Amino acid sequence: MTLFTSLGDGYVRRALIEVVIVGVLCGAVGVQVVLRRLSFLTTALTHATFPGVVIASLLGLGLVLGAGLFGVLVVAVVAGLTGPRGRERGREASSVIAVVLSGGFALGMALQSTQDGFSRDLTAFLVGSVLTVQPGDIVVSAVTALIVLGVLVALRKELLLGAFDPDGLAAAGYPTRRLDLALLLVIEATVVTSLPAVGTIMAVALIAGPAATARLWCERTAPMTAVAIGIGVASGVIGLAVSDQWNIAAGGAIVLTVAAFFVVSLAVRSLSPGEARVRPSARQKSAGRPTYSG
Amino acid sequence: MIDFLVAPFDRPYMARALVEAGILGALCGAVGVYILLRRLAFLTDAITHTVFPGVVVGFLVSGRAGIVPGALVCAVVAAALFTTGAATRRVNEDATLAVLLTAFFAVGVVLVSRQRSYTADLTAFLFGHVLTINVTDIVVTAVVAALAGLTLLGLGKELLLHAFDRQWARSVGYRVTLLDLLGNMMIALVVVAAVQAVGTVLVIAMLVVPAATARLLSDRLGLIVAVAMGIGILGSWLGLCVSYEASVGHDVRLAAGATIVLVLVAGYALVLLGQAVRRATQPTAEAQR
Amino acid sequence: MPPPDDASIIFDHASISYGGSPVLEQVHGTVRGGEIVALVGPNGAGKSTLIKAVLGLVPVASGSITVLGRRPAEARREVAYVPQADALDPDFPISVAQVVLMGRYRRIGWLRRPGRSDRAAAEAALAAVGLEHRAADRFGRLSGGQRQRVLLARAIAMQPAALVLDEPFNGVDAVSQEALLDAIRALVAGGAAVLVSTHDLGLAQLTCDGVCLLNRRQFGFGPPGDVLTPEFLRAAYGGAALELGDRGLILARS
Repeated sequence: MTLFTSLGDGYVRRALIEVVIVGVLCGAVGVQVVLRRLSFLTTALTHATFPGVVIASLLGLGLVLGAGLFGVLVVAVVAGLTGPRGRERGREASSVIAVVLSGGFALGMALQSTQDGFSRDLTAFLVGSVLTVQPGDIVVSAVTALIVLGVLVALRKELLLGAFDPDGLAAAGYPTRRLDLALLLVIEATVVTSLPAVGTIMAVALIAGPAATARLWCERTAPMTAVAIGIGVASGVIGLAVSDQWNIAAGGAIVLTVAAFFVVSLAVRSLSPGEARVRPSARQKSAGRPTYSG
Repeated sequence: MIDFLVAPFDRPYMARALVEAGILGALCGAVGVYILLRRLAFLTDAITHTVFPGVVVGFLVSGRAGIVPGALVCAVVAAALFTTGAATRRVNEDATLAVLLTAFFAVGVVLVSRQRSYTADLTAFLFGHVLTINVTDIVVTAVVAALAGLTLLGLGKELLLHAFDRQWARSVGYRVTLLDLLGNMMIALVVVAAVQAVGTVLVIAMLVVPAATARLLSDRLGLIVAVAMGIGILGSWLGLCVSYEASVGHDVRLAAGATIVLVLVAGYALVLLGQAVRRATQPTAEAQR
Repeated sequence: MPPPDDASIIFDHASISYGGSPVLEQVHGTVRGGEIVALVGPNGAGKSTLIKAVLGLVPVASGSITVLGRRPAEARREVAYVPQADALDPDFPISVAQVVLMGRYRRIGWLRRPGRSDRAAAEAALAAVGLEHRAADRFGRLSGGQRQRVLLARAIAMQPAALVLDEPFNGVDAVSQEALLDAIRALVAGGAAVLVSTHDLGLAQLTCDGVCLLNRRQFGFGPPGDVLTPEFLRAAYGGAALELGDRGLILARS
């Protein structure tokens, strides 16, 4: 396996460390995204973060920093537009999200098109370029991962309750808006951190995929988190190895590995007998709606 | 002002771009309302991502002429997969969709990365090339528009019922899975038509933004469809003008497809803002109308 | 035209299963044209399941259900279903009149537009539930009870031979409840067979010609006085009951 032999090269070692950190982070955060059905929202966040990356590169700032700052802005817009009052005004959450998603992308693309070398840099932002990751990026990733994991651990009871029963959370007196905002920020931070590895378009796969796969095997959140982290890391490492071996884009290879884990798990679990597929009754209004107070 | 809005289209390439974008704007406006009513924005986004490898393979096999066929095959397969996949409830569709759509996209990325000089080609697939659209492309778009238009007009009432109350439609004897499939295929076709002009990434904008804006403005279905189509056409027109003016008048190169989308989003934002202002200056609660 | 004197919905020792395990067993009885039969039982008794079986949406595992002389799936065009209104999206941009007109779609057929007779039938149906003045309003703006009436109007517009309602009185205000009952009685007077699930035992007793008492199996099917007796109710609801002379009964869990 050429990956092992190239471990001597600094850039491969850095890439490996980066995908491990990102794998852990995405796996853990992914559990919240999957349980609360926030995959579409996360896709929108990834797309809307793109202009931040472009602006940062235009201004010569660190990409992650620029994406991060812009990301906070995106979170504010999304939180503002999908608040509880949104529904009354004909603003249905998924269309707002789609507008933010496409607007963000178009902005990023328009800005980038004003520059020369447009295509090359654009691609890196969109699909990642983990093999060019710098030590500084790794430090930022590690710090972000620690902070995010810290938040997830500290708030694990509240997050679990909020995912399962948002009305119950509100009824119990928790500041739901602030908790939602915190979660949005956590997801955004994760998105930004995974940019070097897989870029904006595919970040959602690394976030939702391992957790969705874990959900197929586990019935409780603690093992689900552990499995999700494991798959996240494994996908990163295997993806890198495959990319190195066959000379294909690393980001793409990582995502395909995530998908492979998922599809195989889906197939295996569908074939197992005795799992009655009960269709949720029409009266379960909350089934299928994202559990996010907005 | 007139100059700004009309002059660019003396040039044949701009005129063609306008025709293409105009037809697309109307088509996406109408189908976008359907997507809004059925809450299929995410599915649509998924289809746009899954089209990408088809576009790449089509291009690799037969150059520009292969793009639409490649996209078509992928879109149809994706629509069918997602329709049947929605029947299983083991994992929530949300996450499944997210993983599958990015996986398809990753296939495209991987394929492109195996080619030389891959970055330039990638961008054209992702973001379209409305300024180099040719007459064949316009014909393809017009045909798709006609098909979608016929579907919406001919089967409009059934599609409306299906979107509003799927369970009741089933109880009355409609085969709702077929209606699901029909609707999803229509969306897939529109995505394919839009790929040439605005690329896979921005199609979702053309589909969702005009309809979302129209929904803010009206409660009545017929009006919403008309307004959405109007906004689609106007946004395309304005977007092309702005992009042209920026590059010719101010030497700033703004990609045409992206500019159209930005104009559409700006329109949405303006309507939102206008409504917020109106609400703020009317202190008493509005009557229930 | 509802078939005169025809037994409209016949349950013949019908049992229904979900994924291998039985959820409802031995339902046996008849809902005739011109009758209202109430389906009563505690939550989870299988009322909704039975309704879905009558509509042909859920298969019968053993025994049979015959609707208008046919298998349930074949009779769908003449059986009108009234679901609960709260399952529908209140933001949907559709007017009350458009919702009621939906009842005519099967008659109109694919590709054709609604004609004058269809619009007239829809208006009449809306008037039958007392909401003709709200025809142009958006469906979502109406109150819960009013929306339920609109869904009944949609069913009436079908001019059905049989009507099946799933807990239509849940959370409905008194005015709307009366309007619903009036419209249902009018349909019944015209010869339609009506099956309505409810957990309002008082309503079942006072309004209906027959009662089917369920809790995963049938405890009784017949006139209210025969079925809504203390022993049957205790058995079906699984608890103690306090009798109030011969006026009434309070059910309590033991």
